[in-house]
Amino acid sequence: MEAVQLTAKDYKSAVKPIWCPGCGDYSVLAAITNALAEHGRPLHDVAVISGIGCSSRIPAYTSVYGFHGVHGRSLALASGVKLARPDLTVLVAGGDGDGLSIGGNHFLHACRRNVDMTYVIMDNQVYGMTKGQASPTTDADWTQSKLTPEGTGVNPVQPLTLALAAGAQFIARGFSGNPRGLAKLIYEGINHPGFSIIQVMSPCITYRPEQRDWKSMMKDSAYEATDNLAEANRRLLEEGDFSTGVIYKGPKPAFNPIGSGNTPIAEIEKEFAL
Amino acid sequence: MSMTPEEAQNHAPKLDDVGEFLAHSLALENEAAERYDELADSMEVHNNHDVVALFRKLAEFSRMHAQEVKEIAAKYEVPHLKPWEFQWVDPEGPESGAIENSHYKMTNWHVLQLALHNEERGQKFYAGCAVLSDNADVKKLAQEFAEEESEHVDTLKEWIPRYPKPKENWDEDMDPPAVNE
Repeated sequence: MEAVQLTAKDYKSAVKPIWCPGCGDYSVLAAITNALAEHGRPLHDVAVISGIGCSSRIPAYTSVYGFHGVHGRSLALASGVKLARPDLTVLVAGGDGDGLSIGGNHFLHACRRNVDMTYVIMDNQVYGMTKGQASPTTDADWTQSKLTPEGTGVNPVQPLTLALAAGAQFIARGFSGNPRGLAKLIYEGINHPGFSIIQVMSPCITYRPEQRDWKSMMKDSAYEATDNLAEANRRLLEEGDFSTGVIYKGPKPAFNPIGSGNTPIAEIEKEFAL
Repeated sequence: MSMTPEEAQNHAPKLDDVGEFLAHSLALENEAAERYDELADSMEVHNNHDVVALFRKLAEFSRMHAQEVKEIAAKYEVPHLKPWEFQWVDPEGPESGAIENSHYKMTNWHVLQLALHNEERGQKFYAGCAVLSDNADVKKLAQEFAEEESEHVDTLKEWIPRYPKPKENWDEDMDPPAVNE
């Protein structure tokens, strides 16, 4: 039987997004479905996992397997899915608050563990779903939330620098205003064996209307992807938060569990005996 | 209105293969339809039912135009291009309205302004292709498509006066979503 060529539309569900009109996440959804269509895997061979937040609603809007999990635990969930079903293509979708604050610990260990999955982290530098509080990536002097009227006074997290230091092997940044370029990054991330992180600058036009200006601020990186850690770090610092492209592609193989894991529980318990 | 090659480069790529040109035309119309539907869906969800019907109508028009292009394309070999292989001068196709320019309180006047902007960009895209291409068939088709787009521009200009321009504070919301105390 001839294989049916799926289109991006086939990867979208019939559920209508409830994001605010103008939200960047619409384009991220389009980029994910376009990347999946180009990848061409059947719907039942793909899983999209998320935590909590506006962007974490994405599994409901796709027609592949989905799991809308607990706040900050999307990467832990997705690691379990991938290890239990290595045949699946696993994507993780979420926001900066979900992934870097509540899920910060899981983020670090997902980077170093290097399980073969693709993490699309939509960064709008705000908690949108809870109506506009500062997130881990918010600038220290952002004063528009009544919770932090004088700014947070705290340095924002640099997700890609953190990912690089923690051992992620595919590091890229995209922009929701360029959904075609973003689809390419996600496509490459899926093809990369190991943990891929794609930070997507995705404006929240409701709580951060000034982010509409990102459209004129984003630019393609002047560099090709490197496999040199020091070079990648230098580029991240030099080009700042508004350059897009693949920054680092590392050589380390994807996580592969060693051993059969059949040690009797009694033997394990002995290790913890007081 | 004629366009110089320098001006054309601001609106269109140089496409010398008919199949590739038609692949761009099909994507232009299909993506415009998808975007209008997406906007209609989001307005429906946010209870701005006044503009939903108009967005749906615009999506339907784009689908009709896509069908026309598809019929022409049936005579040629049209390559499959990956989304990032299209040579638009902007990140998105010329008739895909910028999603960040929508607003949950937008009116039909705004919808038509958005559509007019898209059709004008579509017209310039085709006019630019006609100027830049070295292929006589591409030039001919692009000129025809540019003329069609000009008609769409004229139609929209006729429609716009039917809807009053909204007051300056059209987006004022007495119960706004941006309340964070």
